[in-house]
Amino acid sequence: MEAPPVSVMPVTGGAINMMEYLLQGSVLDQSLESLLHRLRGLCDNMEPESFADHELVYLLKGQQGNPFLLRARRSLLHPPAPWHLRYLGQPEVGDKSRLALVRNCVDVSASHSLPEVLNEMGFRMDHEFVAKGQMFRKGAMKVVVSKLSRVLVPGNTENTEPLSLSYLVELSVLAPAGQDTVSEDMRSFAEQLKPLVHLEKIDPKRLM
Amino acid sequence: MGVTCVCQVPVSEGKSVQQTVDTLHKKLEQLGAVKQGNFWVDCETYHATGNATGQPSKLLYVMHNSETPLSCMALFEGGPGLSADANFDVLMVKLKSHFQNAKGHKVESRGCRYRYCDFLVKIGTVAMSSSARGISVEVEYCACVIPGDCWNLMKEFMQSFLGSNTPELPTVFTSKPEGLSVPVDCMDTMSQYLELFSRVRKQQVLPGSGVR
Repeated sequence: MEAPPVSVMPVTGGAINMMEYLLQGSVLDQSLESLLHRLRGLCDNMEPESFADHELVYLLKGQQGNPFLLRARRSLLHPPAPWHLRYLGQPEVGDKSRLALVRNCVDVSASHSLPEVLNEMGFRMDHEFVAKGQMFRKGAMKVVVSKLSRVLVPGNTENTEPLSLSYLVELSVLAPAGQDTVSEDMRSFAEQLKPLVHLEKIDPKRLM
Repeated sequence: MGVTCVCQVPVSEGKSVQQTVDTLHKKLEQLGAVKQGNFWVDCETYHATGNATGQPSKLLYVMHNSETPLSCMALFEGGPGLSADANFDVLMVKLKSHFQNAKGHKVESRGCRYRYCDFLVKIGTVAMSSSARGISVEVEYCACVIPGDCWNLMKEFMQSFLGSNTPELPTVFTSKPEGLSVPVDCMDTMSQYLELFSRVRKQQVLPGSGVR
């Protein structure tokens, strides 16, 4: 019943700018087991965490410029857990980031009324998908191996169809801006996963 | 957290906001309440830009409460509300080209926190642009989360220091389709503060309120 310390101010106004460093690749279904086996050996000693998430991508069309994109994700394995809202900025251009894709990242945990509030704010759902897979950790690095599936009937996550015959592999680190050694550590870890999977920096703009 | 009731207390005849607040503090101390720190609740207004239809755009209120320092609440008046972590403020900064912060509309209530057995009473001075506009009183009964089970007790307690200013059962509870037996959450408290702040915003500036 004690008063919480009033002097503790929440983070506001972009005081902490977190950046996401990302390398991506993929493996065919039949090669999944060998990759998981190697990851279990290389990563921190713990059982990999399995997940099944439903992600909805929302767009807010403004007067000018590109629409604002937000990703809302909820766990299908732990329904009472909060929703996770993520904003990813434009990739940083420059020599420093030649090893990995670097983007500004804002992560917000939110209550279950998130879809309603996003709609009220003017966001419209563009597409949704289900991602199922496993997550490994090595220090600050996170490796996620997931199968993406298309949702056939909007809102129905039981009825899905895999998007491809492969698994998406993502190596990422969340760090404050200005840490140059991160992408080098990521690159040396990615080398250890060759030739099972080839992780590289994929510019999302090149895919559009 | 327990069931909360937020109400506005009018400034006493011939007295200033500060004097009325001091009188309430004295009454609580006479009852045996103990001062336990400070509190603040604030509310920022955002309005959507780029509304092509020409209709008045909806207002998004982003509120903070010192009782939940790591959270941020986003509400639409009479509409859905969201509780999120403090990074939601950072997200609103990223959204500044779509949602403009009406800085002059920021309302906040600051004051002392009193504890009387299982009750928490927070007497705040409601201010907008550094001028005191009114007084908010929040009474929380920490031992219960069901409004229907403790409203009579809360009302009796409030009458002992608010007298005729004791409010009725807040509409945020009576308007719920499931009725008064549903547990409360932080959105119920923030909706009540939002109602109070909206009323205060529409009121005229109090004479003699001055700069705090």
